[in-house]
Amino acid sequence: MIQKTLYTISVAIVGLVGTSCSDYLETPTKSSLGESVIFSDPDLARGAVDGIKVPLGETNSYRGRFLPWYGMNTDVEWYNSSQTAGENADLAVYNAKPNNTNMNTENNAWAMMYAGIERANLCIRGLRLYGDPLPGTELGYLLGESLTLRAIIYADLVKTWGDVVARFEPITTETIYLPKSSRDVIYKQLLADLEEAATLVPWPNETTATSSVERINKAFVKGLRARLCLAASGYSQYPDGIHRSTDPALSVSTLYPIARQECEDVINSGTAMLEPLFETVFKKNNQDNVTAGGETLWELPFADGRGRMLFTFAVRHLSADQHTDQARGGQAGPVPSLFYDYDLKDTRRDITCVPYQYGTADKDTKFARQELVNLNTWFFGKYRYEWMGRHVTSTNDDGVNKLYMRYAEILFMAAETANELDGPAAAAPYLKQIRQRAFVASDWPTKVDAYINALNTKEDMFKALVEEHKFEFAGEMERKQALIRWNLLKTKLDEAKADMHALQDKTGDYADVPGALYFTYAADKETLVVYGLNRGESGSAPSGYTLKDWTELADTKIESLYTGDPNTRQYWPIWQIFLDGSNGKLVNDYNY
Amino acid sequence: MQSIAHNDAYFTQFSTNLTYMNPYPHVKRWVSRGSGLILLCLVVTLHGNAQNKVVTGTVKDTDGVQMPGVSIFEKGTSNGTTSDVDGKFSLSVSPGAVLTFTFIGMAVKDVEVGNQTFLDVVLDHDVSQLDEVVVIGYGTAKKSDLTGSIVSVTGDALRKVPVSNVAETLTGRLAGVQVSSAEGSPDANIRIRVRGGGSITQDNSPLYIVDGFQVNAISDISPSDIQSIDVLKDASSTAIYGSRGANGVIIITTKSGKPGKVSVSYNTFYGAKRIAKTLDVLPVEDYVKWQYEYAVLKNDPKGLASYEDYFGTWADRDLFNGMKGNNWQEQVYGRTGHVFSHDLSVRGGGDKFSYSANYALYDEKAIMIGSDFQRNNLTMKFNSKPVEPVEIMFSLRYSDTKINGGGTNEQNEASASDSRLKHAVTYAPIPLGGITTDDTNEEIASYMINPIVATNDNDREQNRKNYNMVGSVSWNIIDNLQFRSEIGLDNVRTRDNRFYGLTTYYVQNTPTSENQNHPAVIMTQTEQQRFRNANTLNYNFKGLLGQDHNLNLLVGQEMIHTKNSAFASVVHGFPTLFNASQAFKLTTQGKSQSTNNFLSPDDNLFSLFGRANYEFKGKYLLSATYRADGSSRFLGDNSWGYFPSAAAAWKISSEEFMAGTSGWLDQLKLRVSYGIAGNNNIPVGQTAQTFESSVNTWMSGFTSYWAPSKILANPDLRWEETNTRNIGLDFSTLQGRVTGTFDVYLNNTTGLLVEFPVPGTGYTSQYRNLGETENKGLEASMKYIVVEKQNYGFDVSVNVSFNRNKVKSLEMMNNFGRNTNWASTEIGDDYMVETGQPVGMMYGYLSDGRYEVSDFEGYDVTKKAWIPKEGVVTATDVVGAAAPGMMKLKDNTGDGAVKAEDRVIIGNANPKHTGGIILNGYAYGFDLSAAVSWSYGNDIYNANKIEYTSSTPRYQYRNLSAIMADGKRWTNIDPNTGSRVTDPTALAALNANTTMWSPYMARYVFSDWAVEDGSFLRLNTLTLGYTVPSSFTSRVHIQSLRLFATAYNVFILTNYSGFDPEVSTRRNYAVTPGVDYSAYPRSRQLVFGLNLNF
Repeated sequence: MIQKTLYTISVAIVGLVGTSCSDYLETPTKSSLGESVIFSDPDLARGAVDGIKVPLGETNSYRGRFLPWYGMNTDVEWYNSSQTAGENADLAVYNAKPNNTNMNTENNAWAMMYAGIERANLCIRGLRLYGDPLPGTELGYLLGESLTLRAIIYADLVKTWGDVVARFEPITTETIYLPKSSRDVIYKQLLADLEEAATLVPWPNETTATSSVERINKAFVKGLRARLCLAASGYSQYPDGIHRSTDPALSVSTLYPIARQECEDVINSGTAMLEPLFETVFKKNNQDNVTAGGETLWELPFADGRGRMLFTFAVRHLSADQHTDQARGGQAGPVPSLFYDYDLKDTRRDITCVPYQYGTADKDTKFARQELVNLNTWFFGKYRYEWMGRHVTSTNDDGVNKLYMRYAEILFMAAETANELDGPAAAAPYLKQIRQRAFVASDWPTKVDAYINALNTKEDMFKALVEEHKFEFAGEMERKQALIRWNLLKTKLDEAKADMHALQDKTGDYADVPGALYFTYAADKETLVVYGLNRGESGSAPSGYTLKDWTELADTKIESLYTGDPNTRQYWPIWQIFLDGSNGKLVNDYNY
Repeated sequence: MQSIAHNDAYFTQFSTNLTYMNPYPHVKRWVSRGSGLILLCLVVTLHGNAQNKVVTGTVKDTDGVQMPGVSIFEKGTSNGTTSDVDGKFSLSVSPGAVLTFTFIGMAVKDVEVGNQTFLDVVLDHDVSQLDEVVVIGYGTAKKSDLTGSIVSVTGDALRKVPVSNVAETLTGRLAGVQVSSAEGSPDANIRIRVRGGGSITQDNSPLYIVDGFQVNAISDISPSDIQSIDVLKDASSTAIYGSRGANGVIIITTKSGKPGKVSVSYNTFYGAKRIAKTLDVLPVEDYVKWQYEYAVLKNDPKGLASYEDYFGTWADRDLFNGMKGNNWQEQVYGRTGHVFSHDLSVRGGGDKFSYSANYALYDEKAIMIGSDFQRNNLTMKFNSKPVEPVEIMFSLRYSDTKINGGGTNEQNEASASDSRLKHAVTYAPIPLGGITTDDTNEEIASYMINPIVATNDNDREQNRKNYNMVGSVSWNIIDNLQFRSEIGLDNVRTRDNRFYGLTTYYVQNTPTSENQNHPAVIMTQTEQQRFRNANTLNYNFKGLLGQDHNLNLLVGQEMIHTKNSAFASVVHGFPTLFNASQAFKLTTQGKSQSTNNFLSPDDNLFSLFGRANYEFKGKYLLSATYRADGSSRFLGDNSWGYFPSAAAAWKISSEEFMAGTSGWLDQLKLRVSYGIAGNNNIPVGQTAQTFESSVNTWMSGFTSYWAPSKILANPDLRWEETNTRNIGLDFSTLQGRVTGTFDVYLNNTTGLLVEFPVPGTGYTSQYRNLGETENKGLEASMKYIVVEKQNYGFDVSVNVSFNRNKVKSLEMMNNFGRNTNWASTEIGDDYMVETGQPVGMMYGYLSDGRYEVSDFEGYDVTKKAWIPKEGVVTATDVVGAAAPGMMKLKDNTGDGAVKAEDRVIIGNANPKHTGGIILNGYAYGFDLSAAVSWSYGNDIYNANKIEYTSSTPRYQYRNLSAIMADGKRWTNIDPNTGSRVTDPTALAALNANTTMWSPYMARYVFSDWAVEDGSFLRLNTLTLGYTVPSSFTSRVHIQSLRLFATAYNVFILTNYSGFDPEVSTRRNYAVTPGVDYSAYPRSRQLVFGLNLNF
């Protein structure tokens, strides 16, 4: 009896033990899906590709650290508090240190960019493995979008930090710690990726997805590829000095024809165009108009409650008022001389350079009016709460997209490559389109035709393009990279300093700039009417106007345009936390 | 199951087959009038069998004092009674009966009745604790037979001092067990560390076992329901729990029914509490003065203009002289709290059946507005012996805990601005409307919020319901062979409703634009279901191996299956007038942002184990255990961990050569043990990267997306293992008057499970097995019974623990830092984990006082800057441009400038020793007990102090702590004119009597000035009780009535300047202990109560 019972118990125990023990210890995940499921279904795969964009909206990513701080200072754009020494100014005045407290956090843009890259790598691998991503299919489009989003992030990484870690496959235990790769390796991969992506994504408005510039389209892919051709073959800082890439695959002679072809493809496609009015480009951007087919090729798609473009760059509002509940803007602005460098007839001038802010609103009516600041403080008029269709209520975000590339840049790149390859006559038609848009038709004979016809040499045309670039793109944070690839960064910054000194002294090119403004208000009691802003508007004030001194531009402020040597500080350092966390694999070159 | 093991003891102690008589018919009446059906169900009256002889007698102790309340049973029957007030009894017994006499604190005595009709029984005091039964995991052992290191507290010791949380009862009582609460809130996290804890970044909480069942926290258990708490410290004891025992095991056994008479007890107390300490801040007049200086120093025209908007010109400041400001600390934390607690238990049973039921309520209104706490506990336990070899047990525990109020800080904060204590300390003492800041860093957006508004806008309601059911069967298959099976189910449901009001960072930023600046709620419901089955077979080789040998073998198997799920609803965009309670109830008034039902992977554990206990001649004890654990948290072969242990003990006092000492030495025992225990305490699902769906409000075009977790998976994860070596000595002398234990240990933890940061790879961190730590230490505890008489007595217990923690290896690197983040990014890494150092090292600058005028050549008027003398160290990157009166830091690198590289280790959060003293006395019905605990040599990172003494450019209009009062702080303002003094002589003269630097600095700076000695000695509780003589109470059929008063947190001796030195508020990472930032202030409490037994 007892033995039998013992036997029964033993059997029971052994049975329990043996109850497929290995199965018991394998517990599958529940609220998750595997790659094979996600990447074989277009709806799910789209969710994964959308996921690539999310890290860019993280607090200290593109949204709060990269877009607001990368791109200054140049000969046309500066941080409005450059003279106030500190962590913020250091980022703009070529003096950033690895332990910059604004940047040296584990959730900084650097980390978020790599988070985006990892997600893109997973999408690319997954789509290729499980998706059969052929051109013309939804999964093919998603592969093209993934490749392009990854290229965008890498392009920004390389332009900001130079040589960076190259990760084109999802991380494994073996690849957690990698040293920096040459930027050449990365550029070559990106150029190949974008070539492939162009076969996968349709032209603007060809499909529902590409009817919005918040999704990737072929015009943008080709434009970005052209931009990267110019950057890869251009000058940049290496540990041994500034030079072009030594890789023959990235030479001017190899890449310029490719860039030119890509631009011509876009132009010939007719799927994008210059807006007839310069102003419209930015009004549309500020109004969240993302319909494809206009000037915008792609915008970094911030939702309404996220993103800091206006928060950072807009015409400043000192308090909540009739245009916004967010009292922000004006962190950066045009350098004072830029306004006076524009041709008086150039319609881009007043869109780009704004000398006023919105003052403190009346406490009861919440109504504020424009107020002149000082000669030393200007704002980018391309970003205006006044133009928005919404009333911003968030304390920290405005929700306006980052206009990442527009058709005008295609024309510029076409002009630059055509000039380099075939001379000024080949470039002229493209420059002509830009200038015709900038001036009213009655001014074309002098400001467009005569001006361009005078550009007879390659050098003259190049100089004219460099100049035109600043009038066209000031405030869009495109200038720094362009100056670097032209090897003109320090040269142009020094010119800007000299210009500002001349403006302050009212000498040289700025001798006819008035030292006093007179202002009154238009009938709406909001809009300033100013006399004295244009060159030569001197003499006595119109009656009823108030005097405003227009000389405040201190030497210390001018000199703060840069404090470190721009030629040896073209890049931000890799932040300390990432050096520390790299297991010794990452180092900063360039003696930070 | 431990509880049953205790019952075993009972069943052997009081032999079986008793019949119960209810001597207290009034109990029934009272119950029917009073509280609840449960009691009705339980108070069962069984009528006894016929008797044929009446025995009477008296019971006395050795001093000849008559003993009332002694239980008297006829052995082998269900017949019994108790002695009356005069120690007399009368009982009908069958012929040849044996009577068993039992009384708490006295040795059990059996008396054969024989032909006697009158018995004069003398009971001996049972002073020896040596035969106390201790729970050792899957069984019990006599304390004298232990080979491992185990400390225990029994319910008797706990009963006298009422507390809200079981963990508190352990404070200062047990050597090697450090108990500290993180802050003063009613639901404060109570940290229990057994021998320091081995892990670097994982939670070092011990394993909690309640009646055999693993639970996540012991706060759900009513202290009144606890029979005993046993803490297993060395691996020879914990290895039987294998995987989960590396940080020690705390075993709680709840009370079971007692066979025999029904006992009904009722305990209650009521009390009041007040905030224990507040910090002094600047009075209004000084506040205004400082605001002026701040505006001048900021050197920004807007700053001064803004000052004048609020306060007028410098000349107007006398308006504020003598003005009384709001005391915000008083307004937010100053209310009188109340606590009310009562519990009622009924225990009883007969030969084949016993039961226990307990109901407890703890209700507290805390000192902070909106903060309260309530817990209901219901426990039922049944034991039955339906047939001779079989015993079954069933127990049910239910607890329902409600916690209201958002407290002062959050571990998972969205932004550093979430901490709320600062508002109460630094908010302007007078109303200033419409303050704004123009800083772009969103984390300071909430830099000035009315503290009451901040409290209401961060409201929270938490509710936790815990159901636990355990059943077990023991079957004595043959003599000495017992099979036992336990099945248990544990279900914990929590509801956490978090409200975000208009001033919170969350509603200003997280919702989509149309829902911003409208209240929001996040409601989370989590459910954990745990199923456990354990089967053991125990064989005792009694009699088979001869007289001198005794061998006991245990083999067993256990499986634990845990399921977790969380359901979260996020609702945004409520009407702006809504407060928390409206928003929680009227969710349709908001807009549903997301619902997320997240199911975690199951957490499964399968184990096989065995134990052998061998005893030779009653002097030599050997035990060995082996356990294999398979955990689903690891993959493939890594899922299995193997944990052996061995221990030996030698009862030296039993040796013949010790015969000469028997007059004074009761016992001397040497113990040696070695063992390995494991740890798998990481979140489930870390071995495979999967895609999870999340909600998106940041980017346009989609509302949800798929992405891998931010934590990188690691398929190679394996068990963390702790090797422990322990040598201990137990002694008892002078008939148990002096008892004590010494232990020394050396623990090495290898393959540490570390959440390792991998910034910049695309993920934030990865779990890894990395490095090695060591804990070594010494523990001693002693108890001295000074006097023990029937009417008066006094004893004192002391315990002390020394633990030294050291990181032995971090493999690929020497150190890594961790940022506590209380100051967002301003401070950077402020803790350092470094090879050769303990965990918990604070990392920062060395303070060098302040810059004096004599450090400067003079003032450069054109550059508006002071010119430092040659050789004067500057700290431009840290404190700001050098000027007289600024905080000065030491330059350790010798390059003339203080930079990030000059930071060094400036503090150690680990105490040199901790301990406690318990005093117990009684005299003629009065009893007095006091519990003192101390911690010596630990440093505290007083982040509050930094925040309350620094005025950085971001935080205009904040008030300062009185450390920076006028006359103490450096000033740059001529008090007569209000102008800034730049003349060196005048400035020096102005500050001749000041001692502190100027509060104005570029950013928060962590220097050794903010590291303070956190040593303290606290009188935790002081209780005075009086037991009404039973001669009075017995007339109303009350067995005992005790009235008592207890004071909590009576006094504290410390040099610490903050609210309280027992604090740790940055707990998300195990490497950042001892930070005092925004802790819920502690209170002082006085309660009155009574214990009533029928």
